[in-house]
Amino acid sequence: MKFDGTDLYAALIHELKNSLGVLSMTLERIPLQGETEHDVAVVAARQLCEGVVDRLHQALLIYKAENQQIHLILDAYSPHDLLQQIEARANALARGRFRIEVAIAEDLPALWFFDRDLIEMALINAIHNALVYARSTIRIEADVEAGCLVLSVRDDSPGYPEHILGGLADGGAYPTTGTGLGLQFARLIAQSHDNRGRLGELRLYNDPGAVFCLRLP
Amino acid sequence: MSLPSTRESDAFIDYGALRALVVDDSPGMRNALRLTLANFGITKIQMVANAAEAIFQIKNRSYDFILSDFNLGEGRDGQQLLEELRHSNLISLETVFMMVTAESFYEKVVATAELAPDDYMIKPFSAELLRSRLTSILLRKRAFRDVYWSFQVQDLEASIAACDALIRNKPKYAVDALRFKGELLVALGRFEEAEALYQQVVTMRAIPWARLGLARSLHLQKKVEAAEEELRDVLEHAPEMVAAYDLLSEVCLEKKDVAAAQAALEKGVAISAKTVRRQQKLGEVAYGNGDLDAARTAFDNVLEKGRHSIFITPTDFGNLCRVQLEQGDLQAVSDTLKKNKSTLQASPEGQLVMAVTQGMAHTRTGNLSEAAKALDEAAGLRAGGTRGDAQLMLDLAGVCMASGRHDEADAVVAEVARNAHDSEALLAKAKRLYDEAGRADAGASVLASATSDVRTLNNEGVVLAQRGDYGTAVEKLLTACREAPYNPRILMNAVWVILKYIDQIGMDEAMIETARAQLGEAERQAPGHPRIAGLRLHLRDVENRFGIQRKAAR
Repeated sequence: MKFDGTDLYAALIHELKNSLGVLSMTLERIPLQGETEHDVAVVAARQLCEGVVDRLHQALLIYKAENQQIHLILDAYSPHDLLQQIEARANALARGRFRIEVAIAEDLPALWFFDRDLIEMALINAIHNALVYARSTIRIEADVEAGCLVLSVRDDSPGYPEHILGGLADGGAYPTTGTGLGLQFARLIAQSHDNRGRLGELRLYNDPGAVFCLRLP
Repeated sequence: MSLPSTRESDAFIDYGALRALVVDDSPGMRNALRLTLANFGITKIQMVANAAEAIFQIKNRSYDFILSDFNLGEGRDGQQLLEELRHSNLISLETVFMMVTAESFYEKVVATAELAPDDYMIKPFSAELLRSRLTSILLRKRAFRDVYWSFQVQDLEASIAACDALIRNKPKYAVDALRFKGELLVALGRFEEAEALYQQVVTMRAIPWARLGLARSLHLQKKVEAAEEELRDVLEHAPEMVAAYDLLSEVCLEKKDVAAAQAALEKGVAISAKTVRRQQKLGEVAYGNGDLDAARTAFDNVLEKGRHSIFITPTDFGNLCRVQLEQGDLQAVSDTLKKNKSTLQASPEGQLVMAVTQGMAHTRTGNLSEAAKALDEAAGLRAGGTRGDAQLMLDLAGVCMASGRHDEADAVVAEVARNAHDSEALLAKAKRLYDEAGRADAGASVLASATSDVRTLNNEGVVLAQRGDYGTAVEKLLTACREAPYNPRILMNAVWVILKYIDQIGMDEAMIETARAQLGEAERQAPGHPRIAGLRLHLRDVENRFGIQRKAAR
């Protein structure tokens, strides 16, 4: 919706995202007291708040993507550094309630070309999902396969429900609420990674828990 | 050269020793950032609210890490702060500068800006993310220590060698090292090698900075068509890449396609209006095209957006007033001068701009007695050694002619012509001045004699040097320099023959001092001219060979 040349929806989402960001930082400053009832509530509030911030950030990107298409900023980044950053973030989000494991293939190249911020966002989103459904463990993996950098987030949940896996198979839309929105976003990001006509992809499957897997050429 | 190195894998960073500066206009945000930094052990933190305070702090003590918000309220923004810090050499290559941004589009612009921060954080962000980003940058800077050190003592060859070592031995930093090496090759004038290097990166992946580097090295080799093709394609894929518009406008100017040059700059300005130098360039190009409305908007923006920038000079006020005058908007001229009176009166150059502008305005309204006063003021300033840019000096000459002060006008024009004997645009403008005053013949003779002396001395000097008679060549060119003390071409030629002369006959301290001063002047007159880096290098080489010590602080 345009009004006086300003994109009101985008501006509104932007504003909400920033206000929530400040709220999130404020929540960070409430000290834990070693008292279960208090601490559990604070931790839950923090996590929820960060989750909403991430969602709004995505919403903004998806909204703009409809207008123009996602513009990537490709550069050479270290996948090792990326995994380290995701691991640190996952540990902070898990706050000891889940075990975070990391597996990096030995022959993982020192550099790969991708849009760091977008890939980070997609992976963090997958971590948020895993934190909701996993039983005890989340595993982050990096590997190289058939000329693609493969970044995966696995959990030990019962796996994705049929309608999500099906949505992927027929290339149709995911549900536009909750988990579906994030997955749609991740697929968009993956597909924008184009290397001489070869597109990246998002693969979702159960093995036996849910596996979220980005393949970047 | 390097210190006894700690273990190669040593990734320890002592955050307690790190000195940090946080720049943010919101007290709440400053406090939150302080807590975030304290969270991972950074305790030496100075907090400031705006760019002016940041610069004050940085001039007083050095910081290892600057974390600045992009949006700093009134005054300079974060990008302007960064440009000023780099331009004035207030921070070294070792200093980490990170930009915090909430702007959804800015991130794309800043990431591809020519003068980019080391990294940027999109608000809001977590402490862990900031920490891991900062750690990566600090480790990278540690790996680049030899590269930076050689660069800072101007030993560009050694810096390239250090880049090569990284490319060979540290795959993680190979692409960063290639990027830095590309810039060094360009600075050294080794454009073909730069082209090959960028081509090598593009073959890996067509990332925007490499394509821009490729286009720049093509442009510098005068492969105009190839450069333009590359740039147009880059912009199709990365339309937010403002630096590509700047380069495209240069390429178009080279092709003498001034309309396309203006169009390119307008697109760049539409994306990022705050960059003062882009607005200045747009104003100049639009003015040259006779598009007075566009020129006025751009020059207005220069003063408006650049109010707090160090890149503003009295010339910018003169430029705006000139356009306003040509549009016949005398009220606007008087407003501009009134509004900026204190700024202009603060320097003789500013006073000259005021005097010339007032002289032009009074000439237009037919108030010749006031015009005469302004001319006397300008003459006094000139006698004291004050000079303006060439456009302003020609304006001055025009006012002199309108008041019948022809000798004065001829002297001013001759001076401009001597200092710009190879600038067709300026000589044409001077000629027009005489034509309009009905003194075409007088003009032709003033211009011919002013330029021919300098041209003759210069050409003779160059021919003598090519024959190996550097002694006589030096004499000729030093005479030319006295005639045309601000002519970059002459200055650079003089530096070149002096260095060749010393190569031939040995050290001459007074001579090398002259060369140093003239190279400095050439750089002031033609900043970024492709010949300057090579001459600097030659100068340094001569100094080294004859054991002239330069201070090199590690």
